[in-house]
Amino acid sequence: MASHLPRPKFVPVAALSCLAALLGGCAGNGNGLDANGNPIVPGSSAPAALTADFQSIQDNIFTPICTKCHIGANAPEGLQLDEAHSYALLVGVPSAEVPSVLRVKAGDPTDSYLIQKLENASGIVGAQMPFGGPYLPQSTIDVIAQWITNGAAPAAASSSSSAAMAVTATMPVDRAFVDAPVATIAVGFSQRPDASYLNGAVHLQNISAQAETVPVMVGQAEGNPATVVLTPLAPLGPGTYRITIHGGDTTALTSVAGEALSADYSFTFTVSVP
Amino acid sequence: MSKRWMRPALCWLLVSLGFAASCGYAEPYIAVQTGLKCTQCHVNPTGGGLRGPYGDVFAQTLMPASKIDTGPDLWTGDVSKFFRIGGDLRTEALATEVPHSKTVSQFMLEQVRVYLEAQVIPERLIVYVDEQVAPGGALNREAYALYWSGNHDWYVKAGQMYLPFGWRLQDQTAFVRQASGINMTTPDQGVEFGWLRGHWDAQLDVTNGTAGGTVTDSRKEFTSQVVYVESIWRTGVAANYNDKLGGSRSTYGLFAGLRTGPVSWLGEADVIDDKSLGFDQGRMLATLVEANWLITRGNNLKLTSEYLDPNRDVHSNGETRWSVVYELTPIQFAQIRAGVRYYDGIPQSDTQNTRLYFIELHGFF
Repeated sequence: MASHLPRPKFVPVAALSCLAALLGGCAGNGNGLDANGNPIVPGSSAPAALTADFQSIQDNIFTPICTKCHIGANAPEGLQLDEAHSYALLVGVPSAEVPSVLRVKAGDPTDSYLIQKLENASGIVGAQMPFGGPYLPQSTIDVIAQWITNGAAPAAASSSSSAAMAVTATMPVDRAFVDAPVATIAVGFSQRPDASYLNGAVHLQNISAQAETVPVMVGQAEGNPATVVLTPLAPLGPGTYRITIHGGDTTALTSVAGEALSADYSFTFTVSVP
Repeated sequence: MSKRWMRPALCWLLVSLGFAASCGYAEPYIAVQTGLKCTQCHVNPTGGGLRGPYGDVFAQTLMPASKIDTGPDLWTGDVSKFFRIGGDLRTEALATEVPHSKTVSQFMLEQVRVYLEAQVIPERLIVYVDEQVAPGGALNREAYALYWSGNHDWYVKAGQMYLPFGWRLQDQTAFVRQASGINMTTPDQGVEFGWLRGHWDAQLDVTNGTAGGTVTDSRKEFTSQVVYVESIWRTGVAANYNDKLGGSRSTYGLFAGLRTGPVSWLGEADVIDDKSLGFDQGRMLATLVEANWLITRGNNLKLTSEYLDPNRDVHSNGETRWSVVYELTPIQFAQIRAGVRYYDGIPQSDTQNTRLYFIELHGFF
């Protein structure tokens, strides 16, 4: 087939060169933008050099590099790394590819899947990140590892948030359908809860079994104390479950700053046979 | 529609259409070059992965510059009457230049994939698996059962699969594949209904919409594609809607292919509106124009020009990427690819101004 192809009547390279010349000016000149391509807000400062804190890593790594793919509803492995989601989906959360390994295990970069994927360590599933390169230099990965070694704290702005005490995220989300068994449930708060209130204010019920209370251990996520982790004594089997966090009175869940949850908060999810 | 992004968008779209079905780690330009539908060479009706008997014969006879004589025996992937196998291996030497950073060069095993097909009921019921076995641990890409109608004009597929949307390019880092979020790193689980009649191909997929992540709600992702195929040109439209609690994501694509003598052209333009992002940051535009010049048998020069507007509401933030790749297929089942990819973005971002140089060995059967 190919051997009978007619000789080219024009030179495709020349045609493509013209095409390139025609379209070559399409790249933006970056006027008025920061390093992430966002408009510079008057009075704001340019992103500082990479340091071992979450905001710096978000501004210098996750936002400009990772969100090319890890953003929105189609983010690979459900991992969204934009500023609104990244911390909650990274720290203390099992990786989708190797669920026995946390994406970020506070204090332990070696056992953090994020670092393993960036370093192309043995044991990862799939490709090294960032997908297709350019891969991060070791000095950059070392800064991320240092943030994890230091405890993987959230950004200073969020940790000092003045937002009212409220639930900000749940896993599973409200009205979710998840496969059995479910071994861990997580609830994120706008402020760090006072641990002494946890056992009395957080309840798990199997509402498909006459609202039977399910025994559960309640604690704060390692390295992420604004997130409360519920561990049922036995993994949850098929059924519909409701989590209730008590609010509104003197026994309400209260933050370390002394602010109580204003009203009861509850969410449900259904566990089914995979 | 703001005038600022209209000009580059129109310019790219017009070029795409003026010169103008998607096929996995496939080279859809081969489909345009030959005037065939993807299903002619691949087991998967939407292309990619395991080649069918015709695809295997094509790879041994019409694709390479020369053929090592194997007598009358040709590889067809048949292990038995009911089982077929295939595979792909890609390994490369890669150099990466990023401004203000040291150049990094490395050898890298990109991927080894194994394909299995069981013709449980010959020509009617197929069980198919596409497993990436390296690097790292095994990773299931596709695994589905596919039922064909008696005359192969419709099918139903159920399991885990790549979604049909635009050109299924070999390069998964192409802007149109990254920005759309629909590529061969993001298979999803669900069902696909396909309709293939005459010049027309159409698919409708209903999937979890988690791109391989944990399912956390009962909302679903809908993907549809319609392609019209003629011998020297083809065009298609695709749409995707992913309904999520945090906000929906809509993607629309227009793509086309045209053969002019020895050159096969591909064009695609995708518009993405992601309402799961704050401050209306989710409106993106990605385009691609690619020319494949078949110089002589087994020698293909690929020139690609891409554009990405990551936020239509922001001025001066466009990115382009230019690629020149030479593909030599000296013998059957072996290909050497050498190329450069030149990223051009805003000067403030080093990674948007990267240069990649690579030589890749691609073995396939």
